[in-house]
Amino acid sequence: MHLRLTDEQQMVQKTIRKFVEKELMPLENDVLRNEREGKPSLSAEKMHELQMKAKEAGFWGINTPEEYGGADLGQMMLAIVQIEVAKTFVPFQFGGSADNILYYGNEKQKEKYLMPTINGDKKSCFAMTEPGAGSDTRNIRMTAVKDGDEWVLNGEKTFITGGNEADFVMVIAITDKELHQSSGGRKGVTCFIADRSMGWKSEYIDTMGEWGPASLIFENVRVPDENVLGEVDGGYDLGLEWIGFARWVVGARAVGSAERLLKMAIDYANERETFGKPIGTRQAIQWQIADSAVEIEAAKWLVLNAAFTLDQGEDNRHAASMAKLYGSNMGNRVVDRVLQIHGGMGYTRELPIERWYREARLWRIYDGTDEIQRLIISRNLLKGHVKVG
Amino acid sequence: MLEGERILMIIYVILKRTFDTEEKIVIQNGKISDDGAEFIINPYDEFAVEEAILLRDKHGGEVTVVSVGDEDNEKELRTALAMGADNAILINNEEVEEKDQHTTASILAAFFEDKAYDLILGGNVSNDNSTGQVGPRLAEQLNIPCVTTITDIEIEGDMVTVVRDAEGDTEILKTSIPLLATAQQGLNEPRYPSLPGIMKAKRKPLEEIDYDELGIDEDDIESLTETVTVFLPPEKQAGKILQGEAADQVKELVTCLHKETKVI
Ligand SMILES: Cc1cc2nc3c(=O)[nH]c(=O)nc-3n(C[C@H](O)[C@H](O)[C@H](O)COP(=O)(O)OP(=O)(O)OC[C@H]3O[C@@H](n4cnc5c(N)ncnc54)[C@H](O)[C@@H]3O)c2cc1C
Repeated sequence: MHLRLTDEQQMVQKTIRKFVEKELMPLENDVLRNEREGKPSLSAEKMHELQMKAKEAGFWGINTPEEYGGADLGQMMLAIVQIEVAKTFVPFQFGGSADNILYYGNEKQKEKYLMPTINGDKKSCFAMTEPGAGSDTRNIRMTAVKDGDEWVLNGEKTFITGGNEADFVMVIAITDKELHQSSGGRKGVTCFIADRSMGWKSEYIDTMGEWGPASLIFENVRVPDENVLGEVDGGYDLGLEWIGFARWVVGARAVGSAERLLKMAIDYANERETFGKPIGTRQAIQWQIADSAVEIEAAKWLVLNAAFTLDQGEDNRHAASMAKLYGSNMGNRVVDRVLQIHGGMGYTRELPIERWYREARLWRIYDGTDEIQRLIISRNLLKGHVKVG
Repeated sequence: MLEGERILMIIYVILKRTFDTEEKIVIQNGKISDDGAEFIINPYDEFAVEEAILLRDKHGGEVTVVSVGDEDNEKELRTALAMGADNAILINNEEVEEKDQHTTASILAAFFEDKAYDLILGGNVSNDNSTGQVGPRLAEQLNIPCVTTITDIEIEGDMVTVVRDAEGDTEILKTSIPLLATAQQGLNEPRYPSLPGIMKAKRKPLEEIDYDELGIDEDDIESLTETVTVFLPPEKQAGKILQGEAADQVKELVTCLHKETKVI
């Protein structure tokens, strides 16, 4: 047992921290201005420029297998990187990676979709959720009917991240109604790779956050048979794998953001004076700072444990649910306290706290809501899949 | 150094571990407190590491980073290795009680005594004490030319052309190898340690030696200076915004510059 980051992990952490401080944080005011003017937070050119700068230093494809040009450093390193990058709200992502399920593609699919996604030439999105099927993923309605060597897709997907910008979607549709029903929704659905040029339409959904997802409309969209990802009727597991991967990463994002926010609160508490003394001398403020620090630390260990478990080749779903549930709630509590400590200033758009406040609310909803995480955790315990202690 | 037709450069970088002055500095018992301080490679030394790597990549050869300090300095040395330096040497001076720039320069001089080198690079100053003494003192003890605050360096054979920042003016100097030069801001933009570099850094050689293995006596290298007190600069005062007609503001400004700040 060694509860410390290794020398390499510490050096990666320090390097990313420096990159974030030097390259990303200076863009924060521009990002806020762009967003207030309804423009993209970060232009595509700027994102590309930053990704290339990171690539020069080898920060590219952190957990992409080496055979696809990545660094393949595993989940712990990814967690460390995600926590550091979340210290700014500048929506930057290191390049060189692709959705985990695209690796299940055949050679042709890898060449056509996986590699261009890794290289940043194509943008992907993943669509499971429908107006009638969110938490209840088994209730999807979209259908795909075979016609010669094509599949004809009809239905609607909603809340799809990147759905407005994507060149292609990995979309889940029912391919065998009977099997779908008899298996309780676990079989009879298939994952298709559908190019935008095949005819699906997207519509932006305005949300409380700064980037909105999209609804996708499929009306007789014809997808060639060669675009089936994985097995016909075996798409449900792929869907779960896609959702499962990102789960603990939400916790990592919450930890990084909360650390930065707490730093802001500490600085403000030392500076802001009321009734002749800095507010940091008041117990009411001190306790908020102490509680936040303890909760951040707890969330960080849950996140690192979820990442470490996966690196050991073990099933990390239980750990990931705990990291997601606790992390995203911790993030919401911390941003609320930090806003409170800043008083009226915290509520203004002069400071980015309100922006974080709006972003943090999403963490408790997507990739499985709080309630769904609790359902998973308690089910694992009640059914004896996981033991207490 | 000549190897066949190819010129191979032996480059050393002297490197200091300092605290990050962008973080909050706290003084405790007359000393800067280590608690919660972030440590980094002295930013001017980082320019030196970058330049050494660039020169090695251009001319071939080897870069060795040397740091005088304690075991904690290993971290900064490993960072330099991750940036691309080939070897690292830590000279431990923990046992020396009274240390100053003379101490560091003398230890380094003893280290370099039996070494072959073409170029020793360092930072112009450290961002903590800012004395700018170690480089020039070392060159003096080694009896080699020294150029400070360089912003450019070109090497052709044994000849070296250096551009230096002379407090705002630019000087171009010609000198020769072996040379000690100290880096000024503007020399280059240091790279980030690379991810593959970080993973390899652990396998690169890092040698640790005790200062007394260099055949020097503590008495000869002890501080020549004494630190009387350490204090933070006065807190910045809030700015003053002048009101009224432009003509009145100008008058008030002139009065302020005269009476309050006494700059005219
Ligand atoms: C910004 C954003 C981006 C998204 N990106 C994507 C994406 O890229 N791809 C994608 O496929 N989906 C995406 N989603 C969809 C997201 O995963 C769903 O919104 C989420 O799973 C919840 O589903 P729902 O909105 O239908 O809520 P519902 O499932 O209708 O839930 C409503 C409420 O009931 C609770 N609830 C539901 N079932 C139970 C139960 N059995 N027991 C107790 N409580 C229950 C829920 O927790 C919630 O509080 C995104 C959503 C948002 C908001």
